[in-house]
Amino acid sequence: MHTIKSSSGSTSKASRKKAKLKTVKLDASSEPPNKKLRTPPVDRGDDRLWVDKYEPTIEADLAVHKRKVEDVRRWLSEAFEGGSAGKLRKYRRILVLTGPAGTAKTTTLRVLAREMGFEIVEWRNSMSERGPNDSWMDTEALFDKFQAFLTRASSCCNIFAASSAIVSMQPQSHTQPKFPSQSSTSLPSTSSSRPSNCHLILLEDLPNILHLPTQARFHDALQSLCSSSESGPPVVIIISDSGLRGENAYNDDTWDGAGGARWSKKETIDIRSLLGADLSTSPYVTRIAFNPIAPTLMNKALQAMLTKHFASTSGKPPAKDVVEMIVESSNGDIRSAAMALEFACVVTLTKGGGKGKTRRNAAGSARAVLEVVTRREQSLVLFHLMGKILYNKRKGDPPATHLSTRDAAKERELDETLLDPSPLPNWLSEHDRKASRVCLETIASDSPIDSSLLGLYIHENYTMFCTDVDQCDGVCEGLSWVDCVGGNLPSTTPHAFPTLALSTLHALPTPVPRKGQKVCKPSWFDVRNKEQDALEGVGDVVTWLGHGGASDERAPGRWTHADVALELGGWLRAVDRTGIAQLQLPRTHRLFSSLPWCAGGVSGNVLGEDENGEADGVDGDGDIRVLGALRDQKEGKGWWLESDDIEEAE
Amino acid sequence: MSLWVDKFRPKTLDDLHYHQSLSIRLKSLAASADFPHMLFYGPSGAGKKTRISCTLRQLFGSGVEKLKIDQRVFISPSKRKLEINVVQSNFHIEITPSEAGNYDRVVIQDLLKEIAQTQQVDLNAKHRFKVVVINEADSLSRDAQAALRRTMEKYMSNMRIILCANSTSRLIAPIKSRCLLMRVAAPTPEEMQNVLEHVAKKLKFDLPEEASQQIAEDSGGNMRKALLVFEALKMQSPDLSGSLTIAKPDWEIYCHKVADLIVQEQSPARVLEVRGKLYELLAHCIPPTIILKTVAERVVERVDEAMKADVMHWAAFYETRMRLGNKKIYHLEAWVVKVMSLYKHFMYNFDMADFE
Repeated sequence: MHTIKSSSGSTSKASRKKAKLKTVKLDASSEPPNKKLRTPPVDRGDDRLWVDKYEPTIEADLAVHKRKVEDVRRWLSEAFEGGSAGKLRKYRRILVLTGPAGTAKTTTLRVLAREMGFEIVEWRNSMSERGPNDSWMDTEALFDKFQAFLTRASSCCNIFAASSAIVSMQPQSHTQPKFPSQSSTSLPSTSSSRPSNCHLILLEDLPNILHLPTQARFHDALQSLCSSSESGPPVVIIISDSGLRGENAYNDDTWDGAGGARWSKKETIDIRSLLGADLSTSPYVTRIAFNPIAPTLMNKALQAMLTKHFASTSGKPPAKDVVEMIVESSNGDIRSAAMALEFACVVTLTKGGGKGKTRRNAAGSARAVLEVVTRREQSLVLFHLMGKILYNKRKGDPPATHLSTRDAAKERELDETLLDPSPLPNWLSEHDRKASRVCLETIASDSPIDSSLLGLYIHENYTMFCTDVDQCDGVCEGLSWVDCVGGNLPSTTPHAFPTLALSTLHALPTPVPRKGQKVCKPSWFDVRNKEQDALEGVGDVVTWLGHGGASDERAPGRWTHADVALELGGWLRAVDRTGIAQLQLPRTHRLFSSLPWCAGGVSGNVLGEDENGEADGVDGDGDIRVLGALRDQKEGKGWWLESDDIEEAE
Repeated sequence: MSLWVDKFRPKTLDDLHYHQSLSIRLKSLAASADFPHMLFYGPSGAGKKTRISCTLRQLFGSGVEKLKIDQRVFISPSKRKLEINVVQSNFHIEITPSEAGNYDRVVIQDLLKEIAQTQQVDLNAKHRFKVVVINEADSLSRDAQAALRRTMEKYMSNMRIILCANSTSRLIAPIKSRCLLMRVAAPTPEEMQNVLEHVAKKLKFDLPEEASQQIAEDSGGNMRKALLVFEALKMQSPDLSGSLTIAKPDWEIYCHKVADLIVQEQSPARVLEVRGKLYELLAHCIPPTIILKTVAERVVERVDEAMKADVMHWAAFYETRMRLGNKKIYHLEAWVVKVMSLYKHFMYNFDMADFE
């Protein structure tokens, strides 16, 4: 019942012209020149969007950081060939690509498929369930189809494989063929030397994971795929981090004394809920996290796109600063950047190409239009948000030493627009502050995080920015008040965020002394995870006691969690010390029973510039990797907070 | 081998070592035909649960000791599954609804309704009703308490409720008025020494007078703690002679050190250090209210007379907020910072006054 649709690349004359241009570029890169590459067809009459039209086809065109591509490539080659020792193949079963939308996850995979010569078999949920000839008996549940797809895809290989690089398999025969623009343009297989049965299963359009039974079956399906001894094709799963704001999504139930159960059910798709706890930590699964695309790379890619476009069409490419603006406002999403660029070319934004004031005005209006068009919800990076709040800049602050004269002038300009607050009466003089340079409305609306996560970030970091406990008192009081009042309000209340920011700004010293503070990620999540583990330990001990310890007598219900956590610690340690083996104490008790005092503070996890902090708290394991990658990307730029001004490397 | 606390727990009202008058009253109540709803309250480790199980035994005979644990699944309004452990015999059922967190109302309602609607089928049973024991009743949410109130009236014929709580202040008045209140006070040191000696006699060894005295004093009226300390000591030095260092629980020492940190220095860096410690305590499942209480008591010991009231006032203030809010650490830390700020100003003014 499955159709195997193979769309072979149609080459038109126009595309030949493009291909020439492309090969020149290719020679410049390090690719082997004997590879014959063709770009997707580009027609005058082609009404596809630029995103599809100029989708990269070779690795050099990808705007993704080289190391990331290399990671994926290595994984794929290990999956197909087994790595250097030839034994890794067994463990390269599932690759999970994560990252925000528009970070070229799928494109990277497709490009590599093209270069390495394997084919992608993709699952698509089809909603057009029944054709006209189907009786209702024939319909099977969507998930059954998915399972059938998995087994078939892993055991069979495509008979048309020789001619197509990308095969999209659909569960229903009655769905009409996809529009050419939708299924990505496919080329004749570039290297036919590879055996044609090299294919991988791509899962991007996932079954409804939020439905628990489906989730369980999905886990089972993947698990069996991993554990099956004969080596099937590897599976690649692509998850776009959805823009969930704050940790409320992780269901933060209240700490209601010991023994309170915390029900952790996720409402969002992330790697844990997708793969299940044991699978996501098993050696079969590799995770590669994509970061938002760096401005320099994005700039290059957009310029390349422009060159390509205006090589085939007449017209004037938009000015360089328009492109820069697009790059700036896209926030690392190349899809949205390409869209914006196309838009910018359709309507000519910068009319007056003159010098001086007219030009600036034109640029200003262009910026305004583009901002309206490309405006995304998250346009302020968390890193800068924290800088804005914690450095608490106010009117008339002396410019920081590292600021260029241009930026200093910008600050002065900003100061002129700020109104002085009306003077306070004597008895309120302690609350007198200069006008703040921080625009609360903007940061509240542009913030990538919600108020509760903002609270956690402020809480983690404010001490470094205070010079005195009284200032700490102000910040803490604000946090405590908002948490207490907010506890009874729906989490969507619009007032929590500004209140938090305002109380923090009010309490911090002005100006904040600069001593190389680094913004850290909240350790709250770690603590909560630890606490949950310890709580499980308590639970284990309670059950153990309920079963009468090692004796035959069963006496359930005598111990509550709180009693065990508070009073049993000494006894448990004594048992451990004397080493009475026959007791069979649950080992997990050590999580809560012993609490040694160690002097000194704790060191935090430093926040990187391009991180959005959303899922950070929940997976500590991914952090190091992300941070490491960030450091690479920075290319010598300081990767901790030095300035709250958004400056792009020129 | 099980814990001494469990092993030597009195099984009948006659076996109880202290609060004899209470035992007599419970006995006569159990003998009478109409047994009321009851609320046992008192400090932890005073023997509330022991008295409840003794009363149950008095009511129904030894059948109540045949316990089994069931895991019951409740469905919350948002279709979430809640798994709650329920301990029950043929005559009674025991639940700790606070394990369900915010959804305790569902648990209370479903469970009570189910029990209330089933008649006792055992013809030999001494009473027609079943008893529901609700532990940690003071951590029940308002909703759950309201649900309880209605059920208590409605199903009086089939069911009696015994609540067990540390204090009555968090229970709503309608519930208190529907119950017979039973206060189980903490035992005096002498009473505790009696119990300790009784245990020692049962185990056939000698307990030196000083040791029992010290244990009784240190455990502050908490019988369970006393017995646990006793057992741990016995494990460490089997002859129980010489100078015994009775170790306080780790977390208590930890809290005291946190208090010392607060008093020693008042600076943003110190706030950060204290936060690390508070996090550590929370990560070891120490309830935040207990942390706040223990640290505050220690701070009060160490500061000047004039400041004591303020320190306690703010502790109470932030404890309320902690109950209303979500993130306990904010409020703990806010209290710490407040105390630091108070202390700093106090010392500063003090110095000035001295100087003049």
